[in-house]
Amino acid sequence: MPNPRAVAAWSLAGLVLAAGWSNPLTRLLVALSGLAFVGLRHRRGVRLRGVLFFLAAAWAGTALLNVLLSHLGNDVFLTLPGWLPLAGGTLTLEALAYGLVAGLGLVATVLTVLPLSVCLEPQDLLVALPGPLHRTGAALSASLNLVPGIARGYLAIQEAQRMRGWRPGLRSLPEVMIPALLTAMEDSIQLAEAMEARGYGGGPRTSYASQPWTWRDSGVALGALAAVGLVLAQPPPTWLAYPALTPPALNLAGLAACLLLLLPVFLWRSPASAA
Amino acid sequence: MAIASLRGLSYWYPGQARPALAEVDLEVGDGLTLVAGPSGGGKSSLLRCFNGLVPHFYGGRIKGGGEVAGLDLLTTPTRRLARAVGFVFQNPEAQLVSPVVEGEVAFGLENLAMPRREMRRRVEAALSAVGGLALRQRRVTTLSGGERQLVALASVLAMEPRLVVLDEPTSQLDPEGAAAVIGALAGLPSVVLAEHRLDGLAALATRQLTVEEGRVREGISTSRAPEPRRPRAPGGVAWRLEGVAAGPAGPLLAGIDLVGREGEVVALTGPNGGGKTTLLRTLAGLLKPLAGRVIRRSGRTAYLPQDPGVLLHRPTVRAEVELTLRRSGSGELAQVVLGEMGLLELAGRYPRDLSAGERQRAAIAAVVAGSPALALLDEPTRGMDPAAARRLRDVVDRLAGEGCAVVLATHDRELVEAVADRVLTVSGGEVR
Repeated sequence: MPNPRAVAAWSLAGLVLAAGWSNPLTRLLVALSGLAFVGLRHRRGVRLRGVLFFLAAAWAGTALLNVLLSHLGNDVFLTLPGWLPLAGGTLTLEALAYGLVAGLGLVATVLTVLPLSVCLEPQDLLVALPGPLHRTGAALSASLNLVPGIARGYLAIQEAQRMRGWRPGLRSLPEVMIPALLTAMEDSIQLAEAMEARGYGGGPRTSYASQPWTWRDSGVALGALAAVGLVLAQPPPTWLAYPALTPPALNLAGLAACLLLLLPVFLWRSPASAA
Repeated sequence: MAIASLRGLSYWYPGQARPALAEVDLEVGDGLTLVAGPSGGGKSSLLRCFNGLVPHFYGGRIKGGGEVAGLDLLTTPTRRLARAVGFVFQNPEAQLVSPVVEGEVAFGLENLAMPRREMRRRVEAALSAVGGLALRQRRVTTLSGGERQLVALASVLAMEPRLVVLDEPTSQLDPEGAAAVIGALAGLPSVVLAEHRLDGLAALATRQLTVEEGRVREGISTSRAPEPRRPRAPGGVAWRLEGVAAGPAGPLLAGIDLVGREGEVVALTGPNGGGKTTLLRTLAGLLKPLAGRVIRRSGRTAYLPQDPGVLLHRPTVRAEVELTLRRSGSGELAQVVLGEMGLLELAGRYPRDLSAGERQRAAIAAVVAGSPALALLDEPTRGMDPAAARRLRDVVDRLAGEGCAVVLATHDRELVEAVADRVLTVSGGEVR
């Protein structure tokens, strides 16, 4: 079992990388290492399909909105008739590129926090929290349960609604998404209620099982620290309103930092095989 | 001596004009106090007063007062009351916190900041009290519903509470699981238990209460015996399974040959995990058979999943029914099926604000509306009070009378006896 504190260190480093470098290549690599972490080391019984679908939709949505609404840039690839509200006018490759990079930042951010939710048992995370944060912990564990909860519910709900004549499509998507969200929220609230009813959240706490810190945890944490160090050692990035349509420069330090983020995949076994 | 007492207690959920509990005066003493009453009548709210979830967790308005083990219910937070009152919830899926059984049982003790050695002793004692010592190292996700409820009970007992409160703990269990949970209650000093299925429980109870429209009264009215069945005359073949092998991951069922007729009601029984739901989903066309053929007569198939929550997403109960009617192109009036399921008064309510039993009724109305050719119902009486179960029997009778082929997966023996023309046992990959 990975130690929750080491996973938290990894997540923090990933966030710094995804936010600190607007270089699309770095973001892509951070997103990919997050994907490798959750994909190969998630705990047993977790279904990622729903979450990944969400992320893909968020990415595509961000890019699409930017292309349709921004109109900035010189490389026009399509001109929409002017009577179209907001979208009418020129659509540019620059706007598309900017949307893709921004969306990629969003995806990378989510993927760096996702391991806390899908690679750890919620209980382990609770135990690892420092005492004063226990009240927050109940809320946190309820919300961390939400993402896998939505994914769990999604298939069952899709089946049930299909039998009532639902057909997949953009307009009918809410009929599946709303119950998926509500069911997961209800389950989370029920869990919070059960925790409260068992005395959670009242001051000092002891723990039944110890959470050992192994050399593997040290390896991941040191790797995360080194990755952050590499980012901080770089000069701050020059801020561009819109990316030029030139391929981003390959940054060796960035590449090395992202490789360090892959350490969990090599050092930690997945909780499933450990159990 | 009373362990818990409520005095002139009234309670309103946030934004509700009608009180969920009205002027309740109640003293709970030793022994088993059995609480019955219709869905949405106030049972769950009453039970949640004893550990302060009402009003501390839910908010809302409260009048009157009460005490448990000398602690004031209105001023003591739930996490403090938890030392005196243990609570077991209805849903075996959503109340367990830890991945492994022993960690689960220890969770409350961790919150009491107990030393590890003492925790070990209590975890062992509590698990053996419910006959679950063998489950100690098991992962929670591998437990059956009955085992989960036993673990939930053990986690509560480990805290050595004065009072144990259970909210319909067996409503989602098969008869075997339910018997194990009820058996584990014997020997506890004081228990408050809400339940719809009373068979076997009434004999153990030292006191019986009914909660209806927020008011508590002594005694429980026993349900009438079911009316004699009208004979049915099944018609042509409505569905057929030929050499079917099926399962969500690998074959759970194999070599299944079955035929169902128009206007025939078939009941599937058997233990949890035996394949009842798999059979229904295969029949519905939701699960592609791994081998063999599934043939259904043309027309709409109504499918009620085990969890009604996965269906409900419209702003009102009426809108849920109307959605199905519109989709199936039926000219039927929503009013009819709402009336049949006793939902006319609830038709304007948001389905997710309803009690568990009321939700189940809303989900049934939403799937059987619009004259389906085939109706597949998974545990339709789950969480239902006796009156609602009678309404369901009438709806099944009406559907069969109109030529609809009905297949039910159920643990409810009364329902099987009242409506089924044929009973099949699904167990260990076989159907008999």
